[in-house]
Amino acid sequence: MASLWKDFVRGLWEENPTFRILIGLCPTLAVTTSAINGMSMGLATAFVLICSSALISLLKRLIPDKVRIPAYIIVIATFVTIVDLFMNAYLPELHQVLGLFIPLIVVNCIVLGRAEAFASKNTVIASVFDGLGMGLGFTWALTLLGSIREILGAGSVFGYRLLPEGATTFGIMSLPPGGFITLGILIAVMNMIANRQKAS
Amino acid sequence: MVIVLSVIAMISAGILAQVYSITSVIIEENQARALESSVFQVLPGTTKVNIIRRSADELGVDDPKEMREQEQTTSLIYEGVDDADRVIGYAFVGEGNGYGGSVRVLVGVEEASDEILNVKVLEHTETPGLGSKIEDESFRKQFVGKKVEDPLKLGQDIDSISGATVSSRAVTEAVRQGFDDATAIYRGGK
Repeated sequence: MASLWKDFVRGLWEENPTFRILIGLCPTLAVTTSAINGMSMGLATAFVLICSSALISLLKRLIPDKVRIPAYIIVIATFVTIVDLFMNAYLPELHQVLGLFIPLIVVNCIVLGRAEAFASKNTVIASVFDGLGMGLGFTWALTLLGSIREILGAGSVFGYRLLPEGATTFGIMSLPPGGFITLGILIAVMNMIANRQKAS
Repeated sequence: MVIVLSVIAMISAGILAQVYSITSVIIEENQARALESSVFQVLPGTTKVNIIRRSADELGVDDPKEMREQEQTTSLIYEGVDDADRVIGYAFVGEGNGYGGSVRVLVGVEEASDEILNVKVLEHTETPGLGSKIEDESFRKQFVGKKVEDPLKLGQDIDSISGATVSSRAVTEAVRQGFDDATAIYRGGK
């Protein structure tokens, strides 16, 4: 049980994909123009990550080593397409916003990375917890990034207006440079906290 | 090796076909309903929407592919009817090129006055926070009351959103083009 807990929390902080390992940055920079976009993208990725980790862990003995990458990609792509279709059917508004980035979860290196580094070597249950931790770690990182950019760029968060209409906002925060700036500052802050933790 | 991969691919294809057959119906329904509710928004008072289609020879093109393309833009006109079966007005889709792709708008025109009642942005991929302001009431209300004879040109009777000239122009052009086409069809057909 203790080791499952460790598998779970590792993704949240110590090996947080976005802030600590710096993988999966393409969707990170592209979709975090608002808090809700970041969160939904994170949750969609988390779902794919959990399902594909579980299935790959289950199939690890059946898949020959030489074709493991194509096999993983097929498994991941299947789950991504399922998410894409269901989101389009039941959450059409959200699907319209995220649109292009949902199919791109297939090539998100977090998903393939966890399949290769963890799920193919560990038990199904451990892989599910690892996927859950990594997925939620990715989700909170994207939500934080999206919230900051939305507050500074549009004066609102989760669509609720914080600053009065007409207040000066920094349009650049909604644009790609704003993503890089915010991510850079956040990583610096995370490093600072991590260094403090180590020192104490 | 080949067998394992083929089996995985086949199972995956089977699952996806199943999921697709379930969801595609809902997706199509959603899209139709979304468009219908948009018509209600641009034509206040509407309770029923009639779709007016043009037949192939009216479009004046024989090529089925070209016809389909034309049909997707403005050959469909939605007629808004109220409880008493009176025609309130008609709505049509216009398309313009924005900063991040095409911008599709739905325009509602009052039957009695031939004036624009409301404009709604259906679809856009403009920059959030800048170009996405084309959805704001303050920009869209500039089109209200305009007639087909009006210039409907950015800088003349429509003010651009600062920092989003391309997006503003896309909407203006979409309204202009849709209005012209729809007037030709709607009035010409009567």
